[in-house]
Amino acid sequence: MAGRWMDLGMFNARGIPGADALGIAIEQMVTGIVSPVDSERGLAARLSYLTKTDAGYEAMDRAGIHVSPRTLMAWLAEERIPNKANRSRLDAAYWDLRRRNVAADLKKRLNNNGRGTRIEINPVDQSRVEGRHQRDLSSRSINVRGVWDRAVDAWMDDDVAELDAIWDDIIQDLGSEYDAYSNVSSIGWAA
Amino acid sequence: MSQENSVEALLEEARLNASIPPPAERQRLREAANLSRAQVAAAVGVGRTTVANWENGHSEPTPPGRLEYLRLLKGLAEIYPAAPAPAAIPEPTADLAPVPPAFVAAPETLRGPDGRAIEGDPGPCIRCGIETTYQSTDGRPLHSGAMCQPAGPAPAAPAASSPGATTPAAAPAAPAPVSPIPAPVPSRSERRARSAARAQADVSLLISRAVQEEAERAGGDEEAALKALIKRAIPDVMHLFNETRATARYDYTAYPALPDILKKPSKKDPDQIWEARPKFHHPGYSLRAPGEVKVTALDVNAAYLSALKCWLPIGKLEHHAGTDGVEPKRSGVHLITPAPWTHPHLPDPIGDRDEPGALWVTNSTLRLLQRLSGPKYGLTDAPVIHESWTSGATENFLDALRKLLGAARDEAIENNDMLTLEYVKAMYSKFISTMGESIHNREMVRPDWMHIIHSQAYANLWGKAYKAHQAGLDVVAMMGTDELHLTGDWRKVFPEGRGVAQMKIKHGDAKASGEYTVGTVGR
Repeated sequence: MAGRWMDLGMFNARGIPGADALGIAIEQMVTGIVSPVDSERGLAARLSYLTKTDAGYEAMDRAGIHVSPRTLMAWLAEERIPNKANRSRLDAAYWDLRRRNVAADLKKRLNNNGRGTRIEINPVDQSRVEGRHQRDLSSRSINVRGVWDRAVDAWMDDDVAELDAIWDDIIQDLGSEYDAYSNVSSIGWAA
Repeated sequence: MSQENSVEALLEEARLNASIPPPAERQRLREAANLSRAQVAAAVGVGRTTVANWENGHSEPTPPGRLEYLRLLKGLAEIYPAAPAPAAIPEPTADLAPVPPAFVAAPETLRGPDGRAIEGDPGPCIRCGIETTYQSTDGRPLHSGAMCQPAGPAPAAPAASSPGATTPAAAPAAPAPVSPIPAPVPSRSERRARSAARAQADVSLLISRAVQEEAERAGGDEEAALKALIKRAIPDVMHLFNETRATARYDYTAYPALPDILKKPSKKDPDQIWEARPKFHHPGYSLRAPGEVKVTALDVNAAYLSALKCWLPIGKLEHHAGTDGVEPKRSGVHLITPAPWTHPHLPDPIGDRDEPGALWVTNSTLRLLQRLSGPKYGLTDAPVIHESWTSGATENFLDALRKLLGAARDEAIENNDMLTLEYVKAMYSKFISTMGESIHNREMVRPDWMHIIHSQAYANLWGKAYKAHQAGLDVVAMMGTDELHLTGDWRKVFPEGRGVAQMKIKHGDAKASGEYTVGTVGR
């Protein structure tokens, strides 16, 4: 993380590291099955998504679902309902696979044929910071390109260090004050 | 200094360009001065045929010689102004003769050795007539750089009162330097209004162009065209919105950090904001009871379009405890405990809330409640405000968009243009419904705006119910965004029609639609 804003909250400023905000904002682009896994509909949709491809079985493996084919068939036929632990594992496996599958689409949308995406960066909330410690920070808007492939990969792998490095790259373009945007209250974009 | 001079030169050129006479006038001026084309050509430094071309409009004066030619024309125009009555020409010429400065393009500003304009006694500017302390080189008041717009004959009178030595000459001379065809010079506010109108015309062109485009593409299939238009309504309205924001004063935050109360716990569950949607049925009337009370179901036209005029927070919402966040120029959401509503005939402005206790309402609802608790209405007690999430607000935020869409709507109604009407409706309704968290519109995430606009529509409806009640009508029902059922002659209260300020009769399949009768219930 860049610069001097290491101790966020020392003077009561509130915000999150830019890397986290970046991850959250990418996360918000992911859509999928809306129904919760506890509903019949949501469960059936997740199971069918996970059992359509080999990648689905791998995802279940990664999520720690080790059940016999017989049980899986029973789940799919809705003869039996997975227990609560397995339901949450199925949910995790579903979102894991979903993220991998939409990553290519996200990269395409964010790269926007090389034009990149304009992002809005809202500075940390200083409303509780004492006046003499407050800095004059405004919302900034910059066009970001060239980093989105790395960013999406890092987000998919939950690689916070890489996201952090990417965020540092992004805010370098903000000019001399870039440092103050190491932590932000929120970021957003339309892609 | 040299920079100053080049600026002056550019200004002079611009002034000359602005007053370039039409080709026929060029010839008239030359002939009036009894000059031959060859003479002019030699003076300007171009060929004789070039001057002929400039005079009969085959070509426009171009740089080698253009500036000199324009200067010549301007000088000639001052000697031989294009007067409707040719007899008047000799008179000003005679007056002008003793005032050589009238012949140069514009009087020069009096400058000190450092190049700065020198100030003196204030007096009306000889160009525009507005008081100034700057002076021209001959000691008359003149705006610095002479950049003011020349006025009509008006400054003649004040010039006489100025104490300069040249007063007697200045008085008759003042009208003369004005260009032969005095262009009406708009004031600043007029210019602004005009440019705003032009901008609005440009933007409204986007609407008609979109409709035309899709109508052509669909090749006469109106249904297909409408489908296509509705499909592109969201990106189009966002584009319109951004166009109306082009010269705006505030930059809004499109992706603010949201407080938890505005976050939806899941995609289907609502957040914690109570929009005060009305669902009111007067307990004194019933469809089932026998009786002959005539009721009319009315519909507010484009209720959400009108509701775009509301106080919207510009930036990120900030938390305040107590009543700290409640100010006229702030808006957002507030945790309040409303006072009990006891009015026997009017709906509760908080809507059909069953649960007692504190609730999060929007600023629109709070403003309504505070109005109603004020001395003018005195209908209820003021709500208790516990905490607020607010930001600095403006009421004009979506006003340009509202006016634009409203004008397009009015025009569509006048021309009976279903396509545009539905397109406009899709634009404003989808704009509001997707401005929060929506996968269909990622240009902004402002659920607070959405709630505030919704409750503004409900507050507006409450206002209409109140108006009817004040006129002696009874409110039998008030529901949703735009439905108002009234007894008696509603046409006395509301104009009938399809305009945004008018009401129309609501027809539908329901029993209580159009004009129907109810009975009274004894209580």
